[in-house]
Amino acid sequence: MAIPFVVSGNFIGLLMLVVIMGATVYFTKRAQGGKVQPIRRVPGIDAMDEAIGRSVEMGRPVVASHGIASLRDATTGPQTIAGLSVLSYVAKKTSEVGAELIVPVRSPEVWPIAADIVETAYKVSGKAEDYKVENIRFLSNDQFAYSSNYIGLLMREKPGANIMIGAYWAESLQLAETGSRVGCMQISGTAQTSQLPFFLVATDYCLIGEEIYSAGAYLTNDAQMIGSLAGTDVGRIIAVALSLLGALIVTLGSQVMIQFFGW
Amino acid sequence: MVFLQVIPYYLDLGKNLNDQMGNVANYFQRWMLIVIALATLVGVIAVVQVHAKNVQKRSKDWLFSIIVLVILALMLVAGLPLKEVTLGPTNSVYLYLFNNAYTPLSGTMYSIIAFFITSAAFRAFRARNIEASLVLIAGLLMVLSNAPLFTVMWPPFKTIGDWIMAVPNTATMRAITMGIALGTIALAVRTLMGIERGYLRGGGD
Repeated sequence: MAIPFVVSGNFIGLLMLVVIMGATVYFTKRAQGGKVQPIRRVPGIDAMDEAIGRSVEMGRPVVASHGIASLRDATTGPQTIAGLSVLSYVAKKTSEVGAELIVPVRSPEVWPIAADIVETAYKVSGKAEDYKVENIRFLSNDQFAYSSNYIGLLMREKPGANIMIGAYWAESLQLAETGSRVGCMQISGTAQTSQLPFFLVATDYCLIGEEIYSAGAYLTNDAQMIGSLAGTDVGRIIAVALSLLGALIVTLGSQVMIQFFGW
Repeated sequence: MVFLQVIPYYLDLGKNLNDQMGNVANYFQRWMLIVIALATLVGVIAVVQVHAKNVQKRSKDWLFSIIVLVILALMLVAGLPLKEVTLGPTNSVYLYLFNNAYTPLSGTMYSIIAFFITSAAFRAFRARNIEASLVLIAGLLMVLSNAPLFTVMWPPFKTIGDWIMAVPNTATMRAITMGIALGTIALAVRTLMGIERGYLRGGGD
């Protein structure tokens, strides 16, 4: 069935997008009025302060990276944004407690943003003199040159904590294993499903998929941002309901759901 | 920019209007490419800044910094797009370094993942609790399913491996993928509403 003014096959996608975006906006506005939903604890995010504190006690630096993706790609760009939001929190904390922060960067266009985030965090904490621009390290634009450089950095600096939140590919295991070898506390997170098993087995805490997107909201404790998370729950309920309904209908031999999603 | 990209994907507003929106979006994307090209220079400056300071201060392993700076300068000069003086990607020095240093080093880094997988598996495959035991059992069954020696000895290993991949693995991956899509939409809404500011000067306040 063709819907006027809608590209054939994309109607349900558009409808779902509008519903989920609408729910997110609604819960965000609701949170503005003081009605904030409780959120579940995420051990990996709770462990950030512990990891930074551990580094200070050991007199070692904190390494925090935001993945190797740029901001351009539709699927991996948001992961970089999520990684930078976490970096913002980590920079704020390290500047407050006096830990040295090293940020390995792969994408040249992200380097000025990362440098700006860290510099601002140090200025806000009143420790502008502690900010070292050379600690925001552009390693290489090439994936494995970045990886070998990051491995070398971990081996030389022996950080107390290695926080990796963002989009990683084949280098994920190389970095996580090296971090484990030098004995640093590791918190990882990615929405790259092919890399999740590596992070899960090689790091102490792993944020799985969407948890990295909610990390910024969780860490800032901002009511509006927390409210927006409730919008994704609406989408989750719809997804589960449609999955169960679809499985039942297809099992009964009907093609109704397949036709429905083809609108 | 966002709407110019999204609208033609979902809505059919006539070929002319859709094409015009696509053209405007492409025009802005070209701007982005120019900005990215300029950003590469920022990367070079950042590398020089760090390694020049290492050499200047005679920091630990400063000799390696000299190697980085020399190779950087060599590749930069040899790769300059000046065909008249035989420079550029076809330059012999550039090609020699690319084929004999860059390519084998990159290949080596990729291939050492096999060793990292072994050491990670050694640590992960320990039956410390129920979850770890499940990982151990599933991992062992997958190894047995993919090793021809074992499937020849007992063919059902292949069926079990295929079932693990097709049912529990696919179901979990789909759940994670749906969660990621929902999280991405929420992040996009927060960014468009100006609430997500963590990546903007550490909060933007």
